[in-house]
Formats: sequence, structure tokens, C-alpha cells
Amino acid sequence: MPAWLRSLVTTIVVLGVWETIGRLRLIAGRAIPPPSAIVADWIANADVYRLHVVQTLSSASLGFLFGTSIAILAAIAFVQWPVVERLTRGISITLFAVPAITIGPILVLSFRGSVPQIILAAICVYFPTMIATLIGLREIDPRPLDVIRTYGGGKGAFLRYVRLRASLPGMLAGLRVAAPAAVLGAILGEFGAGTRWGLGSFLLGSLGQANSARIWAIGLCATAVAAIGYAGFGLVARGLLGATTAVTVAANSAPDRLGGFRPSRPGQETLMVLAAIAAPFAAWWLVLHLLGLNPIIARDPIATFHYLFLADNAPASRAKLFNAFASTLPVAALGMLLGLAAAFVLAALSVLKPAIVRALMPPSLLLQTMPLVALTPIIVLIFGRDLAAMLAVTVSVVFFPAFVTLAQGLSQVPRPALDLVRAYGDRPVRSLWLVSLPFAVTYVFAAARLVAPRALLGAMIAEWLATGTGVGQLLNASRGQLDYGMIWATAFVSVVVAILAYQAVTLVERLTVRF
Amino acid sequence: MSLVAPVRDLPAAGGGVPPPPDVVIDHVDRVFESGGRTVKALDRVSMKIERGSFVALIGPSGCGKSTLLRLVAGLDEPDAGMVQIRGATPAEFRNRGEFGIAFQDPALLPWRSVRRNIALPLEVLGRPVRESAEHIEQLIALVGLKGFEEAKPGQLSGGMRQRVAIARSLVTKPSLLLLDEPFGALDQILRRAMNLELQDIWMRERTTTVLVTHGIDEAVFLADRIAVMQTGPGRIVEIVDVPFERPRHPDLFSAPEFHALCDRLAVLLHLEKH
Repeated sequence: MPAWLRSLVTTIVVLGVWETIGRLRLIAGRAIPPPSAIVADWIANADVYRLHVVQTLSSASLGFLFGTSIAILAAIAFVQWPVVERLTRGISITLFAVPAITIGPILVLSFRGSVPQIILAAICVYFPTMIATLIGLREIDPRPLDVIRTYGGGKGAFLRYVRLRASLPGMLAGLRVAAPAAVLGAILGEFGAGTRWGLGSFLLGSLGQANSARIWAIGLCATAVAAIGYAGFGLVARGLLGATTAVTVAANSAPDRLGGFRPSRPGQETLMVLAAIAAPFAAWWLVLHLLGLNPIIARDPIATFHYLFLADNAPASRAKLFNAFASTLPVAALGMLLGLAAAFVLAALSVLKPAIVRALMPPSLLLQTMPLVALTPIIVLIFGRDLAAMLAVTVSVVFFPAFVTLAQGLSQVPRPALDLVRAYGDRPVRSLWLVSLPFAVTYVFAAARLVAPRALLGAMIAEWLATGTGVGQLLNASRGQLDYGMIWATAFVSVVVAILAYQAVTLVERLTVRF
Repeated sequence: MSLVAPVRDLPAAGGGVPPPPDVVIDHVDRVFESGGRTVKALDRVSMKIERGSFVALIGPSGCGKSTLLRLVAGLDEPDAGMVQIRGATPAEFRNRGEFGIAFQDPALLPWRSVRRNIALPLEVLGRPVRESAEHIEQLIALVGLKGFEEAKPGQLSGGMRQRVAIARSLVTKPSLLLLDEPFGALDQILRRAMNLELQDIWMRERTTTVLVTHGIDEAVFLADRIAVMQTGPGRIVEIVDVPFERPRHPDLFSAPEFHALCDRLAVLLHLEKH
């Protein structure tokens, strides 16, 4: 049977089973509607869907355009002047770690029209694009440098003739991962924005209607928009370079790949760390004051400090914050560990049975692109509105990127090392235990760093949309009560928590991995 | 046969006046630090390289021969002493586009065709590539790659890639050609063939050439003079003149006087006891 025929048959079988389950309500009652009902909803409301999709698509595209342009320019600046990267590292890590959902309300309060969605989409695409481009620009064959220097060329000529072209695969991989991130950002920006159009507004408006086909239909629309962007850049990469797969690792990197500048004097290192901590605060203050935003709504670091520690009701605010995080963090941490463990076990098994990778990789890559917000209501439909749903959301946002990272890491185990074990008897389990797993340990930590902020974001989205608890609920309620100080304080603490989680993973890695 | 004081037959050397030196290496030191230890890569190395001559630097790994070449190319700076090329510093000379260079690794850009890889030095120097189009075609023919003009490095064999690197080193019509083990990664058969090709190219242009190699036979076959280097610290222990007439024929590789000179170099390199 030719491959296309097999895919066709598989698709028909899957759709048939799905239709049967949906018609007979075999799983969780109405939670899984039959595909025919989803299609029927699309057809009956085609105009409505079109308007919502166009709105989200336009803000996501604009945000993508701005965010990726800034990210690529930043990556070029970082590689040409490594000290710039070191000084702004705090900002890079903040942009990596910030849960987008906490910024949404701030932007909605400060800007009109579709500006909040555009900015949030830009923030979501910045980090993956920047890190993939930076790694692409930096990790290149250094030997042509000598050739270019011999003909009087310097850093500029090297950038022009070697780095830029050599970074193209990495850059395209970054844009590929950024496309679904832009859709996610645009949709999150619609949360609580009160805009008429957009898939996020559509989703929030449909949550109370007990129409599961509608919620699935919206989720699939969002996924389709994201997946088209993802696949589109994959096709561009294949057309331009003839290869796409090997480079996605770079785009899914956490900030531990920033690297580069090494201070020459001991005092400089301290200075750099101080700069890295100070820079995000300075940027926070500067942006608010340069834009001339209303200081009652847009709270700068000083106002936020005042709200948390000096104001009359500061202790009450702190208690509220503490309770919210005490409720969110354990679930986020548990979900992250479960997701990582599941990804690790499956990735390890897939070394023994490569069929697992072949079967799981395509849906993992697809589900990785599925916007979190589209996934959450579907999970809620299946699992209900309690802790289980929140855990399921967190696990699923962690699992797919972690599996992709680990499976790709395990596939990069040096062949000679595996051949050496095989030469003393073909025992795959032993080779997995002796070579592949020790080799993959660093990828476990890379995956943990990558998914820590996502776990936090997943838990918060589940709280906002489903359980009505924890930080998600606090954000939603503060937005309703116009408690601006609380919104800013929540965003600030979320970033700090995410960065601490990131540093904790790094610390554990340093203590356990000794090679 | 005697190996002392050979008469050299350079065209520029009219009336017995020695040609002016192209490269003056004057008491050059270069120290590297690694892990708190300092390694003297070059210790008071001096040498003059005459215009139009072919000089080989030979020695064991770590004797500083590649470091010396990098100093001449201005890719590295000496800690003491100086390198002068026709009265200019290597950096000044470099910016005039007078160097040609090739390394053991061809260092080709994988996304550029053979033709565009060869043109790269012109682009770096900001010279119009179109005016050199004919010259590039001649170079491609010279290194035997006709028909591969549009091939990418990934489609070529190791030997062919190295020939692209040689052609690239000649594209600027350099007055000083620096070759750092350019045939080091090739097999013996291909290496011989490339040695013959390089001699042909050099005979035509008489470009001052410095060749770093660890192949004794390669040095003897190609060079007018051979600087023998030693480690610990890196230094020149002796400069040996090569007396054979040019053009040198492949038969030379099996001539007894060729082997006698190779044996003498082997002794200087401590490969054999006296």
C-alpha cells in the first residue's frame, strides 16, 4: 500500500471511530462531539467563524512581524557585541519566563484596539525566534573566518558572508515555532479585552453555552491557523535549504543557550549579574514612562513595591497573592513532573522501539503547536472543572515539547558509543541503560527548563477558564475589580517564580551532572 | 652528491644580485597560556623569504610552524619581534589584498557553488567579481574542475574541495601565497598529483610561496629552501637549500639524491639517529 493511501485509510478509520464515539456518547457524555457536528457548526456559522479567524489572524500576523523582526535584530546585535547580550540577559530571561496570560490584562488596560493582542503576540514570538537565530549565528564553522580575515575582512564581513547565511536554518526553525506562539499570544490578549471579534473572545463567549461542538470547532480553528503557520515555515525551510528536521532543537531552547560573553576580570562577572537583574526593572520603568501611560493604571516598579509593602492594605494584598500562588504552584509543579516523567519514559522506550517515535512524533509536533487556550476547554469538557482538569492541562502542555526535546536528544547519542556496546553483544536494554540514558540526562534538564514557564502558564489558563482558583482566578477577579496594583504584582511575582524555577533546575543540574 | 650552497636559478636575480626579501621575520616570540602553564610556541625565530622563492616549513606537531604562518598572515600577533612584508605590517599588506591562503581544511562555504566560493576573497575585498569572471574560469580549468563550476562543496570529493581552496587562494593574483598543509588530508596518490599541479602553477606565476607541511618528500619536491623546525620551544634549527633543477619531474621522487636529502632532513627532525 502506498504511503498516501495508508494515511488516507488511517484518517478515515480515525474519523469513523471518533464519529461513533461522539454519536454514542461513549466518553464523558457530551464532551467529545462527533466530527460531523463540528463541521455542521462551521458550515452553519461560516461568516461568524471567518470574522473571528480574520481578526485573530491579523493581530497574530502583525505581532509576529514586529516580534520576529526585533528578535532577529537583537540576535545579530548579541552575536556582534556579546556584552550587549550579557547586559540584557535579564530581559531575555524575563521574556522567556513571563506567563503571557499575566500581561494580557495589563496591556488591555493600557492600550486600545487590537494593540494589546499585537503586543502580546510579539512578546510570545520574541524569545523562540531570538534564541534560535542566535544559536544559528553563533554555532558555525569557524574556519572560513581565517580565510575572510586574510583578505582584510572583519566581524562585519564574517557576518555578511558566513553568519547570516549559516543561521538561516536556525532562524527559520525559530520562525516556525514562533508562528503558533503568535496565535497563542493574540488569543490570550483577547482574554478580558472585551473585543467583539477574535477566536479568544469567541471562545470565552461560548464557554457557558454547553455546546461542545462549538468549543471543539473554535479549538480546531485556532489549531489550524497555528499549524498552517508552523507548516508554512517548514515548507519555506525545505524549499530554501532542503532540510528542516535537525534544527528544531535550537528553537525549543531555554535561555541556557544564551552563552557567549566571558568577563575577563573577576569584578566584571558581579557587575554583569547586577546588570542582568537591574535591566528588566529599568526596562519596565522606562517603557511605562516613555509611553506616558496613566500612572494609576500603569504601575512602575516603585508603585508596585509600594502596593506590596507600604500601602495600608499591603498585608492583605500579600496574603491574597500568597494564597493564590500556594494554590497554583503545587499543581503546576506536579503537572510538570508528571509530564516530564511521561515524556522521559516514552522517549526512552522509543529508543528500544523506534516505532513509538514514528507514531508519536507527528502528533506531538502538531499538538505542540496547538494553542494552549484551544486545548484547555476541550480538556475541561472531558475532565470536568476540578483539579484533574488543571493537572491534565499542565501535563499536556509539558508533555509534548518535553517529548520532542528528549526524543531528539536521544537520537543524537553518538553512533560510535552505541556501536561499541553492540560490539560486545547486541543488548538494546543495556545499551539504553549504559549509553543513551546517561547521555540524555542533560536533555532532561534542558526540557525541564523549557517547560517550567509553560507549566505555570498552563495551570493559570486552566484556573482562569475552568477551576476559578489560584493565580488565574486572582488575575481575572482583579481585572474585574479594577485592582490595578494586584494585576501588576501578580505579573511581577509570576515572573520571579518562573525565573526561580528556572534557576532551581539549573542548580539541580549543576549538582547532579558532573561531566 | 654535495648539498652545500646550491646555485639558484631565479629569473629576477639578474647579474648575481640577490632578489629583495619579501618577508622578514625578525626575532619573533609567541607564547600561549593554557591552564596556568605557558608554552613557548615560537622562540626568537628569524628568517628572510626572498621574492619569487618557494619556502617550506617542516617539523613535528607543536613546533610552531602553523603559528609562524598565522603570524605572517596577520591572523595572530607576535609577543615580541616583528614580521614585515615588503616593508608593511601583515595587517596593511592584508588590506591591500596581496595574500593568497589555503588551509588543511578547505573551509568552503557549503551554500556557495565552486565558482562563487572561488570569488569570495574578491567580494570581501570589495572588488568587482564580474571583471574577474574570465580569470575564475581559468583557475577552475587550472585545478581541473571544468564542468563543476556550479557544484556545491557537498557534491565534491575531498580532493576536489581542496582544489577549489587552491583556486580560491589564487583568485586575487596574490604576491604572497601561504599554504598551511593544504594537502594534509589527502591520500598519498592524490597528494602527489596535487604537488605536481602546485609546481606547475608556481612555475607560471613565480609567486612567493610559503608551504607548511609535515611531509618531507612534499617539501623536498616543491621547495627552494626548507626551514626545519623543532619543538620545546618552537624554533628553526636549520635552513636547508634544495638544489634540484626545475621543472621537477615525478621521476625525482625515486632518485637517490632525492632520498639522500630526505634522509638528511629526517635526521634533523630526530626521526633517525646519526
